[in-house]
Amino acid sequence: MAIPVVAQHLEEPGHLPNKGKVGMICLIIGESAIFSIFVLAYLFYIGKSQWGPQPKEVLEVPILNTVCLLSSSLTIWLSERAIEHNLLMTFTAWLGVTIALGSIFLVGTGWEWYKLIYHDGLALQTNLFGTTFYSLVGLHASHVIIGLIMLITLWLFAMTGHVSGKNSERIQTLALYWHFVDAVWVVVFAVVYVIGR
Amino acid sequence: MSTQEQLAPSRSEGAHGGTGVVHGDPVQTHAPAHTDSIHLPRPTAYPIIAALGFTLLVAGILTHYVISILGVCLLAYGCVGWFREVLPHEMHENITVRVQEISIASARKSVGRLPGGAESGGQRAHVGVGAFSPLVGLKGGVAGGIAMIFPALAYGLIAQHSIWYPVNLLGGAGVSGMTGFGNPTMQDLRAFHMATLGFATIIHVISCTLIGLLYGSILPLMPKHPIILGGIIAPLAWTGILFAALPTINPEMSAHISWPDFLLAQFVFGITAGWVVSRSSYYRTAKSLPFAMRLGFEGGGVGREDGEDHR
Amino acid sequence: MADASLPIGSLDLTPEALAEGTFREYLHGWVTTVDHKRLGILYVLYALFFLVVGGAEAMIIRVQLMYPDNHFVSPEVYNRMFTMHGTTMVFLMGMPLLFGFANYLVPLMIGARDMAFPRLNALSFWLTAFGGILLYYSFIGGFGLYGQGSAPDVGWFEYAPLTTRTYSQGHAVDFWALSLFVTGWGTLGAAINIITTTISMRCKGMTMMRIPLFCWLLLCTSALTLVAITPLTAAQVMLELDRYLGAHFFDTQAGGSALIWAHFFWIFGHPEVYILVLPAFGVANEIIPVFSRKPAFGYTAMVAASVGIVFISLGVWAHHMFTVGMTSAANAFFTLSTMIIAVPTGIKVFNWIATMWGGKLRFATPMLFAATFVVHFLLSGLTGIMLSASPWDWQLHNSYFVIAHFHYVLVGAIVFSMLAGIYYWFPKVTGRLMDEKLGKWHFWLFLIGFHLTFDFLHVPGILGMPRWVYTYEASRGWASWNMIASVGGFIQFLASGIFVWNLLYSGLHGAEAGPDPWDAWTLEWATSSPPPEYNFAVEPVVASRRPLWDLKHPSDTDTQYE
Repeated sequence: MAIPVVAQHLEEPGHLPNKGKVGMICLIIGESAIFSIFVLAYLFYIGKSQWGPQPKEVLEVPILNTVCLLSSSLTIWLSERAIEHNLLMTFTAWLGVTIALGSIFLVGTGWEWYKLIYHDGLALQTNLFGTTFYSLVGLHASHVIIGLIMLITLWLFAMTGHVSGKNSERIQTLALYWHFVDAVWVVVFAVVYVIGR
Repeated sequence: MSTQEQLAPSRSEGAHGGTGVVHGDPVQTHAPAHTDSIHLPRPTAYPIIAALGFTLLVAGILTHYVISILGVCLLAYGCVGWFREVLPHEMHENITVRVQEISIASARKSVGRLPGGAESGGQRAHVGVGAFSPLVGLKGGVAGGIAMIFPALAYGLIAQHSIWYPVNLLGGAGVSGMTGFGNPTMQDLRAFHMATLGFATIIHVISCTLIGLLYGSILPLMPKHPIILGGIIAPLAWTGILFAALPTINPEMSAHISWPDFLLAQFVFGITAGWVVSRSSYYRTAKSLPFAMRLGFEGGGVGREDGEDHR
Repeated sequence: MADASLPIGSLDLTPEALAEGTFREYLHGWVTTVDHKRLGILYVLYALFFLVVGGAEAMIIRVQLMYPDNHFVSPEVYNRMFTMHGTTMVFLMGMPLLFGFANYLVPLMIGARDMAFPRLNALSFWLTAFGGILLYYSFIGGFGLYGQGSAPDVGWFEYAPLTTRTYSQGHAVDFWALSLFVTGWGTLGAAINIITTTISMRCKGMTMMRIPLFCWLLLCTSALTLVAITPLTAAQVMLELDRYLGAHFFDTQAGGSALIWAHFFWIFGHPEVYILVLPAFGVANEIIPVFSRKPAFGYTAMVAASVGIVFISLGVWAHHMFTVGMTSAANAFFTLSTMIIAVPTGIKVFNWIATMWGGKLRFATPMLFAATFVVHFLLSGLTGIMLSASPWDWQLHNSYFVIAHFHYVLVGAIVFSMLAGIYYWFPKVTGRLMDEKLGKWHFWLFLIGFHLTFDFLHVPGILGMPRWVYTYEASRGWASWNMIASVGGFIQFLASGIFVWNLLYSGLHGAEAGPDPWDAWTLEWATSSPPPEYNFAVEPVVASRRPLWDLKHPSDTDTQYE
């Protein structure tokens, strides 16, 4: 008996996109919508604070932080490439550098907040600037923290020899998230430190 | 009944059973035999634990922080358990397959055919594809949109001595009030305004493409007279609605519109768009057919799938 | 005609041992399941439960409004009823129902064995479920300051500044924001899962332009969910920051804006309407061709229109806010964009009619509901275009005309279509057909009740009756209209009772359905009813949009026309 469904021009099944990546891209789109709402709120409330410190008076441009976070996108790309070619040592090293750069960013943000809170007297409740600033930057920082936790977990697995080239697609998915966190920082930086200042 | 097993990395990489097959290995479609067990993800309680943890974490904000602490613990437990469920290898269970024949057949044996088919039976009256490609409608919309610019501008030039007059009227719908178009003078309407030109272009492009799409989808309903429906009836109806509604919505704008010329421009759009749509791709599948067949192609009652209903 | 080696056309029996075991094991199986079909059933049952709950709340509202100067419930309880009715129907009934359909059907229709992320799927369902429980816990647990807590009571869109600490003491608003925050993540997970499944899990030969229209519509809905539910989550976080940590987002005393809440809410709120209605389109797209014995008309046009709706619907939100005093440019923009959305929806209506045109129509219960859906959707679209004109909206904003309009969409279109879907796929899920006689009773009673309620509610709206009003004086002239609407409401409730009885009765005693009771063409009918855990013993291979047509007519396949 003939095969009833005549499959003449079948697409190659291997062409279906990797589902981890598709899922991550969807998550990134959803998260972007969250960020865009906070960014809109920030832009809407620029200059509307009626009292308390204003951005011009207290904000300093975090150059070092920005350089660290943006370059961590490069280092994680290097580690992605290393694991694709099964170079475990290089992978672990670049991943470590990425984690270090991300941590520097977090510490820098923490230091900036410390200064704002204890020296300039700017808290979430102080005025609209405080409200929008801490929520937007805090939202981004919380994403950095989540990303760092995942990277550190991966790094620990790599150090104990549980990672191999076969995992490279999963690692690329995770790296996609990290790239997203970096890209959001470009927007946050532009909004908070360039337009808003 | 089912055994848990850890899949080899090469299988588990894609995901679970299903994808493994998509990647082409064990269950070959054309192979005579298939495996007698299928890997499916193992049932697990960790998602519900994580969900409960997250909910309690949030509920603690509403009630007491102890609830939140409990929530965090459950969430962490759920996440770690989940992690171990997927890494390093996804947990699967084997479901044994028992095959029984099933016949997929229709009680309806006869299929509606187009009349006048040369060979036995003729082409099926209703094919699932090829009736319409949205690009055709788009093309029609663009063509009509370009064509209708000329009568509109000609009207402005001849009757109002300025080609910007119709542009300002259309654009004024978008910017009324903002640029003093709430109550424009004739000078205003004849002068050139960047804002109204921009708005008019946007409105024109969007509505022409969308209406082109609409034409593309409704014209095949009337395959015998696409020009009459698309070129005459639809613009007439549309203009009629607008003529009745616009005095209420925007009296100033309505007072400045010359309706016969408006209708003329609509006709030009409709006839051009209808002509472009009707001469292209809708007939793609029918091109190989005799002309007589095309006329009755989607007509009422021409060929449905006949046969007795048994239910 | 089929043998075991064929790509589709083989039936598998789940081992009998699975059906055995104690009740506890049975329950354990449902709680720990990651099977998309079981989760789909759970979603739908959850949604139907809240349909009854939300319906009961609506009945309380209708009893209260039956007579002028009525005091059936207190004003406080009345506020809770309309707030919880709206919230329940949108978040706990509408979205879970559509995700239940998607969960059950999308993998079957594209020939997959499960969703892309089965565990995430379970997480999404349980987040939705626990979020709903948390919301309803507010009735007993929501004690706040001075006893002013209990359930949310400021309307389902929770306008600021009514939600500030000053005006809403207690935890009612927090319950609303936080429980929907929880369900929001569940919704996001479900949307991600559906998109990934549709893109990455298709079987061989199932190109994107061959997946059933239902899957396309669910893909569009999920894409819209990604960018629509997240703004609500963000706004809820802001609201809670305001209420708990003293931030000033919506605090007008400190320069904050109450208006921006309205914008954020409707950036979510209007796409939400399309999130709910697109699956209803999808259900109609599956049912109408099968019961017209013709292929769906204009597949590509339907896809294009659906994608168009997704994009346009993101730019229309402020038509809910014409009365707040925007600039006339903004008014004009949102009027125009709202009217433009009539074009793609018009394409859809034309295509449904064209599908039925010349077909051999058979009005079984699913088709009755689906055909009625088209009519109701058209009517509600017409009142929608009326309301999209800002001057008209200024006159009728927040009146019962608006209530009647959007209930025409939500009940007349969406609920009718979803009921059609339940009647249509019930045989697939349970292996038994639903009773036609009870189904016809359900349909006609529900139809009559629906029209009594929502046709006549337009009138008091035009006469000036505002929404959320607790009661009214007899001299207003609204009494008889409200009486008719209430009677219609009771008829609908009665009809829903018949429906629930039909579900229970047919689930136990219905006629055996067999794998393909409707003589349909999509892949879910190629496996047994109910499908085995793995859906298909052999991965199917398809070569056209109607794989079962090809199987049934091997000498005249669709393939030759693609």
